[in-house]
Amino acid sequence: MERNFKIAGFGGQGVLLAGEVLANAFMLAGLNVTWYPSYGAEMRGGTVNCEIVMSDEEVSEVNKSDTDFVVALNQASFDKFLATIKKGGWMIANSSLIKEIKTRADINYLFAPISKLAEEVGNIKMANILALGLVAKASKLISIENLEKALDNVIPTHRKNLLPLNIKALKIGYEYDLLHV
Amino acid sequence: MPECLTNKKVLTKGNYAIANAAVLAGCQCYFGYPITPQSEIGEFMSGKMQELKRAYVSAESELAAINMVIGATSTGVKAMTSSSSCAVALMQEGLSYATADELPVVLVSVMRGGPGLGNIYPSQGDYFQATKGGGNGDYKLIVLAPSTVQECVDLTYKAFYLAHKYKNPTVLLADGLLGQMMEPVEFYDYPYPEIDNSKWALTGAKGRDGRIIRSYAPLADNQCVFLEKLFQKYKTIEENETEWEEINTEDADIVLVSFGSTSRNVKTAMKLLREKGLKVGFFRPITLFPFPTKRLAELSKTAKKFVTVEVNMGQMVNDVRLAVNGACPVELINKGVGAPPSAQEIVSRIEAL
Repeated sequence: MERNFKIAGFGGQGVLLAGEVLANAFMLAGLNVTWYPSYGAEMRGGTVNCEIVMSDEEVSEVNKSDTDFVVALNQASFDKFLATIKKGGWMIANSSLIKEIKTRADINYLFAPISKLAEEVGNIKMANILALGLVAKASKLISIENLEKALDNVIPTHRKNLLPLNIKALKIGYEYDLLHV
Repeated sequence: MPECLTNKKVLTKGNYAIANAAVLAGCQCYFGYPITPQSEIGEFMSGKMQELKRAYVSAESELAAINMVIGATSTGVKAMTSSSSCAVALMQEGLSYATADELPVVLVSVMRGGPGLGNIYPSQGDYFQATKGGGNGDYKLIVLAPSTVQECVDLTYKAFYLAHKYKNPTVLLADGLLGQMMEPVEFYDYPYPEIDNSKWALTGAKGRDGRIIRSYAPLADNQCVFLEKLFQKYKTIEENETEWEEINTEDADIVLVSFGSTSRNVKTAMKLLREKGLKVGFFRPITLFPFPTKRLAELSKTAKKFVTVEVNMGQMVNDVRLAVNGACPVELINKGVGAPPSAQEIVSRIEAL
Protein backbone atom coordinates (compact mmCIF):
# COMPACT_ATOMS: atom_id res chain seq x y z
CA MET A 1 0.00 0.00 0.00
CA GLU A 2 1.25 3.45 -0.91
CA ARG A 3 -0.25 6.80 0.12
CA ASN A 4 0.95 10.35 -0.39
CA PHE A 5 0.37 13.57 1.51
CA LYS A 6 0.77 17.17 0.44
CA ILE A 7 1.15 19.74 3.23
CA ALA A 8 0.94 23.32 2.04
CA GLY A 9 0.67 26.84 3.41
CA PHE A 10 2.37 30.22 3.79
CA GLY A 11 6.14 30.30 4.24
CA GLY A 12 6.50 30.44 8.03
CA GLN A 13 3.53 28.22 8.89
CA GLY A 14 5.88 25.29 9.40
CA VAL A 15 4.67 23.04 6.61
CA LEU A 16 8.13 21.62 5.89
CA LEU A 17 8.61 20.82 9.57
CA ALA A 18 5.17 19.22 9.82
CA GLY A 19 6.07 17.09 6.81
CA GLU A 20 9.34 16.09 8.41
CA VAL A 21 7.51 15.01 11.57
CA LEU A 22 4.99 13.01 9.55
CA ALA A 23 7.75 11.33 7.51
CA ASN A 24 9.65 10.52 10.71
CA ALA A 25 6.53 8.94 12.18
CA PHE A 26 6.17 6.67 9.15
CA MET A 27 9.84 5.72 9.42
CA LEU A 28 9.31 4.87 13.11
CA ALA A 29 6.39 2.67 12.07
CA GLY A 30 8.84 0.69 9.92
CA LEU A 31 7.56 1.97 6.59
CA ASN A 32 9.44 3.36 3.63
CA VAL A 33 8.95 7.07 3.17
CA THR A 34 10.18 10.05 1.16
CA TRP A 35 9.84 13.76 1.89
CA TYR A 36 10.30 16.23 -0.93
CA PRO A 37 9.91 20.00 -0.58
CA SER A 38 8.92 22.62 -3.07
CA TYR A 39 12.09 24.63 -3.16
CA GLY A 40 12.83 27.59 -5.27
CA ALA A 41 12.87 31.34 -5.39
CA GLU A 42 9.94 31.94 -3.02
CA MET A 43 9.06 35.34 -1.62
CA ARG A 44 8.25 35.88 2.03
CA GLY A 45 4.53 35.23 2.37
CA GLY A 46 4.54 32.98 -0.69
CA THR A 47 3.30 29.41 -0.63
CA VAL A 48 5.42 26.45 0.28
CA ASN A 49 4.63 22.76 0.26
CA CYS A 50 6.10 19.34 0.73
CA GLU A 51 5.09 15.88 -0.36
CA ILE A 52 5.37 12.79 1.81
CA VAL A 53 5.02 9.37 0.22
CA MET A 54 4.75 6.35 2.50
CA SER A 55 4.76 2.76 1.33
CA ASP A 56 5.13 -0.73 2.71
CA GLU A 57 7.19 -1.47 -0.42
CA GLU A 58 9.79 0.64 -2.23
CA VAL A 59 8.39 4.15 -2.74
CA SER A 60 7.29 4.11 -6.38
CA GLU A 61 7.95 7.74 -7.24
CA VAL A 62 8.59 11.16 -5.78
CA ASN A 63 6.70 14.28 -6.84
CA LYS A 64 3.45 12.60 -7.84
CA SER A 65 0.84 14.44 -9.86
CA ASP A 66 -2.10 13.38 -7.65
CA THR A 67 -2.52 13.15 -3.90
CA ASP A 68 -4.38 11.07 -1.30
CA PHE A 69 -4.32 13.67 1.49
CA VAL A 70 -3.92 17.42 1.13
CA VAL A 71 -3.40 19.58 4.21
CA ALA A 72 -4.07 23.20 3.23
CA LEU A 73 -3.16 25.80 5.84
CA ASN A 74 -4.06 28.80 3.67
CA GLN A 75 -6.48 29.69 0.87
CA ALA A 76 -3.85 29.72 -1.90
CA SER A 77 -2.85 26.14 -1.07
CA PHE A 78 -6.49 25.05 -0.94
CA ASP A 79 -7.11 26.52 -4.39
CA LYS A 80 -3.89 25.13 -5.84
CA PHE A 81 -4.18 21.53 -4.67
CA LEU A 82 -7.94 20.82 -4.55
CA ALA A 83 -7.98 19.50 -8.11
CA THR A 84 -5.03 17.16 -7.49
CA ILE A 85 -6.82 15.10 -4.82
CA LYS A 86 -7.62 11.55 -5.87
CA LYS A 87 -11.20 10.36 -5.88
CA GLY A 88 -11.99 9.31 -2.31
CA GLY A 89 -9.05 11.33 -1.00
CA TRP A 90 -9.07 14.02 1.68
CA MET A 91 -8.86 17.79 1.82
CA ILE A 92 -7.92 18.80 5.36
CA ALA A 93 -8.31 22.56 5.44
CA ASN A 94 -7.64 25.33 7.95
CA SER A 95 -11.04 27.03 8.11
CA SER A 96 -9.53 29.91 10.11
CA LEU A 97 -8.07 31.10 6.80
CA ILE A 98 -10.02 29.15 4.16
CA LYS A 99 -13.62 29.55 3.00
CA GLU A 100 -15.71 26.44 3.62
CA ILE A 101 -16.83 25.74 0.07
CA LYS A 102 -17.21 22.16 -1.12
CA THR A 103 -17.07 22.02 -4.90
CA ARG A 104 -16.11 18.35 -5.25
CA ALA A 105 -18.50 15.55 -4.36
CA ASP A 106 -15.94 12.78 -4.85
CA ILE A 107 -13.58 13.67 -1.99
CA ASN A 108 -13.78 14.04 1.79
CA TYR A 109 -13.53 17.53 3.25
CA LEU A 110 -12.34 18.19 6.77
CA PHE A 111 -12.60 21.86 7.65
CA ALA A 112 -11.20 22.68 11.09
CA PRO A 113 -10.21 26.07 12.53
CA ILE A 114 -6.59 24.96 12.84
CA SER A 115 -5.08 28.39 13.51
CA LYS A 116 -7.74 29.26 16.10
CA LEU A 117 -7.33 25.91 17.88
CA ALA A 118 -3.55 26.42 17.94
CA GLU A 119 -4.00 29.85 19.48
CA GLU A 120 -6.14 28.26 22.16
CA VAL A 121 -3.35 25.75 22.85
CA GLY A 122 -1.19 28.76 23.52
CA ASN A 123 0.74 29.40 20.33
CA ILE A 124 -0.50 29.92 16.77
CA LYS A 125 2.83 28.49 15.57
CA MET A 126 1.57 25.06 16.67
CA ALA A 127 -0.99 25.04 13.82
CA ASN A 128 1.24 22.82 11.70
CA ILE A 129 1.56 20.14 14.38
CA LEU A 130 -2.09 20.40 15.33
CA ALA A 131 -2.90 19.67 11.70
CA LEU A 132 -0.93 16.42 11.95
CA GLY A 133 -3.32 15.30 14.70
CA LEU A 134 -6.15 15.76 12.21
CA VAL A 135 -4.18 13.84 9.57
CA ALA A 136 -3.68 10.93 11.97
CA LYS A 137 -7.37 10.85 12.82
CA ALA A 138 -8.65 11.16 9.26
CA SER A 139 -6.12 8.85 7.60
CA LYS A 140 -5.93 6.11 10.26
CA LEU A 141 -2.47 5.47 8.81
CA ILE A 142 -0.31 6.67 11.67
CA SER A 143 -0.48 6.44 15.45
CA ILE A 144 -0.36 9.42 17.78
CA GLU A 145 2.45 7.63 19.68
CA ASN A 146 4.69 7.53 16.62
CA LEU A 147 3.93 11.18 15.92
CA GLU A 148 4.98 12.04 19.49
CA LYS A 149 8.25 10.11 19.05
CA ALA A 150 8.72 11.79 15.68
CA LEU A 151 8.36 15.21 17.30
CA ASP A 152 11.08 14.24 19.74
CA ASN A 153 13.29 13.22 16.79
CA VAL A 154 12.74 16.45 14.90
CA ILE A 155 12.73 19.12 17.61
CA PRO A 156 16.38 20.09 18.18
CA THR A 157 17.96 19.84 21.64
CA HIS A 158 17.85 23.58 22.32
CA ARG A 159 14.10 23.69 21.60
CA LYS A 160 13.10 20.62 23.61
CA ASN A 161 11.19 22.88 26.04
CA LEU A 162 8.58 23.23 23.28
CA LEU A 163 7.97 19.47 23.08
CA PRO A 164 5.10 19.30 25.64
CA LEU A 165 3.20 22.12 23.93
CA ASN A 166 3.65 20.43 20.53
CA ILE A 167 2.35 17.15 21.91
CA LYS A 168 -0.62 19.01 23.38
CA ALA A 169 -1.37 20.56 19.97
CA LEU A 170 -1.05 17.17 18.31
CA LYS A 171 -3.61 15.68 20.73
CA ILE A 172 -6.06 18.57 20.34
CA GLY A 173 -5.94 17.96 16.59
CA TYR A 174 -6.35 14.23 17.06
CA GLU A 175 -9.25 14.62 19.43
CA TYR A 176 -11.06 17.15 17.23
CA ASP A 177 -14.51 15.72 16.68
CA LEU A 178 -14.74 14.75 13.03
CA LEU A 179 -18.48 14.26 13.43
CA HIS A 180 -19.20 17.96 13.67
CA VAL A 181 -17.33 18.59 10.44
CA MET B 1 21.50 21.04 11.17
CA PRO B 2 20.77 17.44 12.08
CA GLU B 3 23.02 15.48 14.38
CA CYS B 4 23.21 12.20 12.57
CA LEU B 5 26.55 10.70 13.48
CA THR B 6 24.89 7.54 14.72
CA ASN B 7 24.28 3.99 13.68
CA LYS B 8 20.52 4.17 14.03
CA LYS B 9 18.06 4.85 11.24
CA VAL B 10 17.47 8.56 10.71
CA LEU B 11 15.38 10.61 8.33
CA THR B 12 17.64 13.06 6.56
CA LYS B 13 18.19 15.02 3.36
CA GLY B 14 20.48 13.68 0.66
CA ASN B 15 22.83 16.62 1.18
CA TYR B 16 23.17 15.98 4.91
CA ALA B 17 23.55 12.25 4.23
CA ILE B 18 26.46 12.93 1.87
CA ALA B 19 28.13 15.32 4.30
CA ASN B 20 27.70 12.98 7.23
CA ALA B 21 29.03 10.02 5.24
CA ALA B 22 32.06 12.08 4.20
CA VAL B 23 32.81 12.81 7.85
CA LEU B 24 32.43 9.12 8.72
CA ALA B 25 34.67 8.21 5.76
CA GLY B 26 37.41 10.18 7.45
CA CYS B 27 37.38 13.31 5.30
CA GLN B 28 39.90 15.61 6.98
CA CYS B 29 39.40 18.74 4.87
CA TYR B 30 36.37 20.35 3.26
CA PHE B 31 36.70 23.33 0.96
CA GLY B 32 33.69 24.85 -0.71
CA TYR B 33 31.60 27.78 -1.78
CA PRO B 34 27.82 27.65 -1.27
CA ILE B 35 25.40 27.11 -4.14
CA THR B 36 21.85 25.76 -4.27
CA PRO B 37 20.85 22.91 -4.32
CA GLN B 38 23.80 21.56 -2.31
CA SER B 39 24.41 24.26 0.30
CA GLU B 40 23.47 21.96 3.20
CA ILE B 41 26.69 20.02 2.60
CA GLY B 42 28.83 23.06 3.40
CA GLU B 43 26.47 24.04 6.22
CA PHE B 44 26.86 20.63 7.88
CA MET B 45 30.62 20.60 7.35
CA SER B 46 31.06 24.10 8.75
CA GLY B 47 29.84 22.87 12.12
CA LYS B 48 30.92 19.25 12.22
CA MET B 49 34.48 19.64 10.90
CA GLN B 50 35.24 22.32 13.47
CA GLU B 51 33.75 20.18 16.23
CA LEU B 52 36.02 17.28 15.18
CA LYS B 53 39.07 19.56 14.85
CA ARG B 54 39.26 18.93 11.12
CA ALA B 55 39.62 21.58 8.44
CA TYR B 56 36.72 23.53 6.97
CA VAL B 57 37.46 26.43 4.66
CA SER B 58 34.80 28.59 3.10
CA ALA B 59 36.66 29.32 -0.12
CA GLU B 60 36.48 32.63 -1.97
CA SER B 61 35.48 30.86 -5.18
CA GLU B 62 35.03 27.41 -6.66
CA LEU B 63 38.32 27.83 -8.49
CA ALA B 64 40.02 28.31 -5.14
CA ALA B 65 38.09 25.42 -3.56
CA ILE B 66 39.20 22.81 -6.11
CA ASN B 67 42.81 24.01 -5.89
CA MET B 68 42.66 23.77 -2.11
CA VAL B 69 41.51 20.15 -2.48
CA ILE B 70 44.47 19.57 -4.82
CA GLY B 71 46.80 20.97 -2.17
CA ALA B 72 45.28 18.93 0.65
CA THR B 73 45.14 15.63 -1.24
CA SER B 74 48.78 16.02 -2.34
CA THR B 75 49.63 15.38 1.31
CA GLY B 76 47.66 12.11 1.16
CA VAL B 77 44.72 13.11 3.36
CA LYS B 78 41.09 12.61 2.47
CA ALA B 79 39.71 15.91 1.25
CA MET B 80 36.70 17.04 -0.74
CA THR B 81 34.68 19.84 -2.20
CA SER B 82 31.05 20.01 -3.26
CA SER B 83 29.23 22.21 -5.71
CA SER B 84 26.65 22.36 -8.45
CA SER B 85 26.57 22.65 -12.24
CA CYS B 86 27.56 26.20 -13.20
CA ALA B 87 30.05 26.26 -10.33
CA VAL B 88 31.45 22.79 -11.08
CA ALA B 89 32.14 24.33 -14.49
CA LEU B 90 34.66 26.58 -12.76
CA MET B 91 36.47 23.53 -11.36
CA GLN B 92 37.19 21.83 -14.67
CA GLU B 93 40.77 23.06 -14.96
CA GLY B 94 41.51 21.80 -11.44
CA LEU B 95 40.03 18.39 -12.19
CA SER B 96 42.22 18.00 -15.26
CA TYR B 97 45.29 18.95 -13.21
CA ALA B 98 44.31 16.63 -10.36
CA THR B 99 43.96 13.77 -12.82
CA ALA B 100 47.40 14.47 -14.26
CA ASP B 101 48.80 14.80 -10.73
CA GLU B 102 47.03 11.53 -9.82
CA LEU B 103 45.41 12.98 -6.73
CA PRO B 104 42.50 11.43 -4.78
CA VAL B 105 40.19 14.43 -5.11
CA VAL B 106 36.54 13.84 -4.16
CA LEU B 107 33.96 16.15 -5.72
CA VAL B 108 30.27 16.02 -4.91
CA SER B 109 28.33 17.47 -7.83
CA VAL B 110 24.64 18.08 -7.13
CA MET B 111 23.21 18.91 -10.54
CA ARG B 112 20.80 21.78 -11.24
CA GLY B 113 19.38 23.26 -14.41
CA GLY B 114 21.69 24.65 -17.08
CA PRO B 115 23.27 25.81 -19.32
CA GLY B 116 24.63 29.06 -17.91
CA LEU B 117 23.25 30.08 -14.56
CA GLY B 118 20.15 28.02 -15.42
CA ASN B 119 17.98 27.40 -12.39
CA ILE B 120 18.06 25.54 -9.09
CA TYR B 121 15.73 22.68 -9.99
CA PRO B 122 16.86 19.06 -10.40
CA SER B 123 18.60 18.12 -13.62
CA GLN B 124 20.85 15.48 -15.13
CA GLY B 125 22.37 17.95 -17.55
CA ASP B 126 25.90 17.44 -16.27
CA TYR B 127 26.31 13.82 -17.34
CA PHE B 128 28.67 15.07 -20.04
CA GLN B 129 30.42 17.45 -17.68
CA ALA B 130 31.15 14.61 -15.25
CA THR B 131 31.93 11.78 -17.65
CA LYS B 132 33.52 13.61 -20.58
CA GLY B 133 34.97 16.50 -18.66
CA GLY B 134 35.49 20.13 -19.47
CA GLY B 135 39.18 20.18 -18.65
CA ASN B 136 41.95 19.77 -21.19
CA GLY B 137 43.68 16.63 -22.27
CA ASP B 138 42.99 12.91 -22.10
CA TYR B 139 41.56 12.10 -18.72
CA LYS B 140 38.63 10.43 -17.03
CA LEU B 141 36.96 10.95 -13.69
CA ILE B 142 35.44 8.06 -11.78
CA VAL B 143 31.72 8.95 -11.59
CA LEU B 144 29.22 7.41 -9.16
CA ALA B 145 25.48 8.10 -9.49
CA PRO B 146 23.26 7.48 -6.45
CA SER B 147 19.49 7.06 -6.83
CA THR B 148 18.37 7.08 -3.18
CA VAL B 149 19.44 8.90 -0.04
CA GLN B 150 20.84 5.62 1.31
CA GLU B 151 22.95 5.31 -1.82
CA CYS B 152 24.17 8.86 -1.24
CA VAL B 153 25.76 7.43 1.92
CA ASP B 154 27.02 4.20 0.36
CA LEU B 155 28.54 5.86 -2.68
CA THR B 156 30.14 8.72 -0.71
CA TYR B 157 32.11 6.08 1.18
CA LYS B 158 32.94 4.42 -2.10
CA ALA B 159 34.00 7.72 -3.70
CA PHE B 160 36.67 8.23 -1.05
CA TYR B 161 37.82 4.63 -1.39
CA LEU B 162 38.07 4.61 -5.19
CA ALA B 163 39.71 8.05 -5.29
CA HIS B 164 42.48 6.81 -3.01
CA LYS B 165 42.72 3.31 -4.45
CA TYR B 166 43.27 4.61 -7.97
CA LYS B 167 44.68 8.07 -7.17
CA ASN B 168 42.10 9.58 -9.47
CA PRO B 169 39.54 12.35 -8.94
CA THR B 170 36.14 10.83 -8.21
CA VAL B 171 32.76 12.49 -8.59
CA LEU B 172 29.59 11.69 -6.69
CA LEU B 173 26.99 12.85 -9.22
CA ALA B 174 23.71 13.59 -7.45
CA ASP B 175 21.00 16.11 -8.34
CA GLY B 176 18.70 18.64 -6.72
CA LEU B 177 16.02 16.06 -6.09
CA LEU B 178 18.34 13.74 -4.18
CA GLY B 179 20.00 16.63 -2.40
CA GLN B 180 16.74 18.12 -1.15
CA MET B 181 14.64 15.05 -0.45
CA MET B 182 14.57 13.17 2.83
CA GLU B 183 14.51 9.40 3.26
CA PRO B 184 15.37 7.08 6.13
CA VAL B 185 19.04 6.13 6.04
CA GLU B 186 21.43 4.06 8.07
CA PHE B 187 24.97 5.19 8.64
CA TYR B 188 27.70 2.71 9.42
CA ASP B 189 31.45 2.69 9.86
CA TYR B 190 33.56 3.32 6.74
CA PRO B 191 33.59 -0.17 5.19
CA TYR B 192 36.74 0.05 3.03
CA PRO B 193 40.39 -0.54 3.85
CA GLU B 194 42.59 2.52 4.30
CA ILE B 195 44.97 3.01 1.38
CA ASP B 196 48.67 3.46 2.07
CA ASN B 197 49.71 6.85 0.68
CA SER B 198 53.18 6.84 2.20
CA LYS B 199 54.98 6.13 -1.10
CA TRP B 200 53.87 9.31 -2.82
CA ALA B 201 52.31 11.81 -0.42
CA LEU B 202 54.03 15.13 0.24
CA THR B 203 54.63 14.90 3.96
CA GLY B 204 57.88 16.83 4.34
CA ALA B 205 61.16 15.32 3.13
CA LYS B 206 62.54 14.51 6.57
CA GLY B 207 64.87 11.50 6.25
CA ARG B 208 64.08 10.92 2.59
CA ASP B 209 64.51 12.54 -0.80
CA GLY B 210 62.09 15.27 -1.79
CA ARG B 211 59.09 14.49 -3.97
CA ILE B 212 57.43 16.54 -6.66
CA ILE B 213 53.83 16.25 -7.80
CA ARG B 214 53.29 18.05 -11.07
CA SER B 215 51.51 17.68 -14.37
CA TYR B 216 54.15 19.36 -16.52
CA ALA B 217 55.96 16.97 -18.89
CA PRO B 218 58.27 18.92 -21.20
CA LEU B 219 59.49 15.84 -23.11
CA ALA B 220 57.00 14.40 -25.60
CA ASP B 221 58.11 10.81 -25.01
CA ASN B 222 57.64 11.06 -21.26
CA GLN B 223 54.10 12.30 -21.70
CA CYS B 224 53.34 9.38 -24.04
CA VAL B 225 54.55 6.96 -21.37
CA PHE B 226 52.50 8.73 -18.73
CA LEU B 227 49.32 8.67 -20.83
CA GLU B 228 49.73 4.97 -21.58
CA LYS B 229 50.10 4.30 -17.86
CA LEU B 230 47.11 6.52 -17.05
CA PHE B 231 44.90 4.72 -19.53
CA GLN B 232 46.12 1.33 -18.35
CA LYS B 233 44.78 2.45 -14.97
CA TYR B 234 41.42 3.34 -16.54
CA LYS B 235 41.30 -0.12 -18.09
CA THR B 236 41.85 -1.66 -14.68
CA ILE B 237 39.09 0.54 -13.24
CA GLU B 238 36.75 -0.60 -16.02
CA GLU B 239 37.53 -4.25 -15.31
CA ASN B 240 37.19 -4.00 -11.54
CA GLU B 241 34.75 -1.29 -10.65
CA THR B 242 31.92 -1.21 -13.18
CA GLU B 243 28.65 -1.38 -11.27
CA TRP B 244 25.00 -1.46 -12.33
CA GLU B 245 21.58 -2.70 -11.31
CA GLU B 246 19.35 -4.69 -13.66
CA ILE B 247 15.88 -6.13 -13.21
CA ASN B 248 13.85 -8.30 -15.59
CA THR B 249 16.36 -7.95 -18.40
CA GLU B 250 16.66 -11.68 -19.23
CA ASP B 251 13.56 -11.89 -21.42
CA ALA B 252 13.15 -8.17 -22.08
CA ASP B 253 12.21 -6.90 -25.54
CA ILE B 254 12.61 -3.31 -24.35
CA VAL B 255 15.36 -2.36 -21.89
CA LEU B 256 14.85 0.94 -20.08
CA VAL B 257 18.16 2.58 -19.16
CA SER B 258 18.28 5.36 -16.61
CA PHE B 259 20.60 6.66 -13.87
CA GLY B 260 20.27 8.63 -10.65
CA SER B 261 17.00 9.95 -9.27
CA THR B 262 15.19 9.55 -12.61
CA SER B 263 15.73 5.78 -12.47
CA ARG B 264 13.33 5.55 -9.50
CA ASN B 265 10.34 6.45 -11.67
CA VAL B 266 11.69 4.39 -14.55
CA LYS B 267 11.80 1.30 -12.35
CA THR B 268 8.15 1.89 -11.45
CA ALA B 269 7.28 2.41 -15.13
CA MET B 270 8.94 -0.94 -15.90
CA LYS B 271 6.73 -2.64 -13.30
CA LEU B 272 3.58 -0.98 -14.72
CA LEU B 273 4.51 -2.06 -18.25
CA ARG B 274 5.13 -5.63 -17.04
CA GLU B 275 1.66 -5.61 -15.48
CA LYS B 276 0.32 -4.76 -18.94
CA GLY B 277 2.09 -7.83 -20.30
CA LEU B 278 4.96 -6.07 -22.06
CA LYS B 279 8.40 -7.63 -21.72
CA VAL B 280 10.28 -4.66 -20.32
CA GLY B 281 13.52 -4.65 -18.33
CA PHE B 282 15.26 -2.05 -16.21
CA PHE B 283 18.95 -1.20 -16.34
CA ARG B 284 20.64 1.40 -14.12
CA PRO B 285 24.32 2.28 -14.45
CA ILE B 286 25.64 3.05 -10.95
CA THR B 287 29.13 3.91 -12.19
CA LEU B 288 28.90 6.32 -15.14
CA PHE B 289 32.61 5.95 -15.62
CA PRO B 290 33.36 3.12 -15.84
CA PHE B 291 30.20 2.74 -17.93
CA PRO B 292 28.65 -0.76 -18.11
CA THR B 293 29.31 -0.93 -21.85
CA LYS B 294 30.06 -4.66 -21.95
CA ARG B 295 26.85 -5.67 -20.20
CA LEU B 296 24.71 -3.43 -22.43
CA ALA B 297 26.40 -4.95 -25.48
CA GLU B 298 25.50 -8.43 -24.19
CA LEU B 299 21.88 -7.39 -23.62
CA SER B 300 21.69 -5.95 -27.15
CA LYS B 301 21.96 -9.52 -28.47
CA THR B 302 18.55 -10.40 -27.01
CA ALA B 303 16.73 -7.07 -26.60
CA LYS B 304 14.80 -5.53 -29.48
CA LYS B 305 15.04 -1.95 -28.32
CA PHE B 306 16.70 0.25 -25.69
CA VAL B 307 15.08 3.38 -24.31
CA THR B 308 17.05 5.77 -22.12
CA VAL B 309 15.17 8.11 -19.82
CA GLU B 310 17.00 11.24 -18.74
CA VAL B 311 16.32 14.72 -17.36
CA ASN B 312 18.46 16.50 -19.95
CA MET B 313 18.32 16.82 -23.72
CA GLY B 314 19.87 13.36 -24.26
CA GLN B 315 23.38 12.69 -22.96
CA MET B 316 23.76 9.15 -21.60
CA VAL B 317 21.81 7.95 -24.63
CA ASN B 318 25.02 8.45 -26.64
CA ASP B 319 26.96 6.03 -24.43
CA VAL B 320 24.15 3.50 -24.66
CA ARG B 321 24.22 3.84 -28.46
CA LEU B 322 27.99 3.25 -28.47
CA ALA B 323 27.55 0.17 -26.30
CA VAL B 324 24.72 -1.25 -28.40
CA ASN B 325 26.70 -0.37 -31.54
CA GLY B 326 23.80 -0.52 -33.97
CA ALA B 327 22.55 -3.94 -32.86
CA CYS B 328 19.08 -2.46 -32.20
CA PRO B 329 17.45 0.97 -31.96
CA VAL B 330 18.17 3.20 -28.96
CA GLU B 331 15.43 5.76 -28.26
CA LEU B 332 15.35 8.67 -25.87
CA ILE B 333 12.60 9.79 -23.50
CA ASN B 334 13.59 13.01 -21.83
CA LYS B 335 12.63 16.21 -20.11
CA GLY B 336 14.90 19.25 -20.10
CA VAL B 337 14.96 20.07 -16.40
CA GLY B 338 13.00 19.53 -13.18
CA ALA B 339 11.69 16.53 -11.28
CA PRO B 340 11.71 13.37 -13.42
CA PRO B 341 8.73 12.54 -15.66
CA SER B 342 6.14 10.52 -13.73
CA ALA B 343 6.02 6.74 -14.08
CA GLN B 344 2.68 7.08 -15.88
CA GLU B 345 4.11 9.60 -18.34
CA ILE B 346 7.04 7.28 -19.06
CA VAL B 347 4.59 4.41 -19.63
CA SER B 348 2.51 6.50 -22.07
CA ARG B 349 5.56 7.70 -23.97
CA ILE B 350 6.94 4.17 -24.28
CA GLU B 351 3.58 2.92 -25.55
CA ALA B 352 3.62 5.75 -28.11
CA LEU B 353 7.09 4.86 -29.46
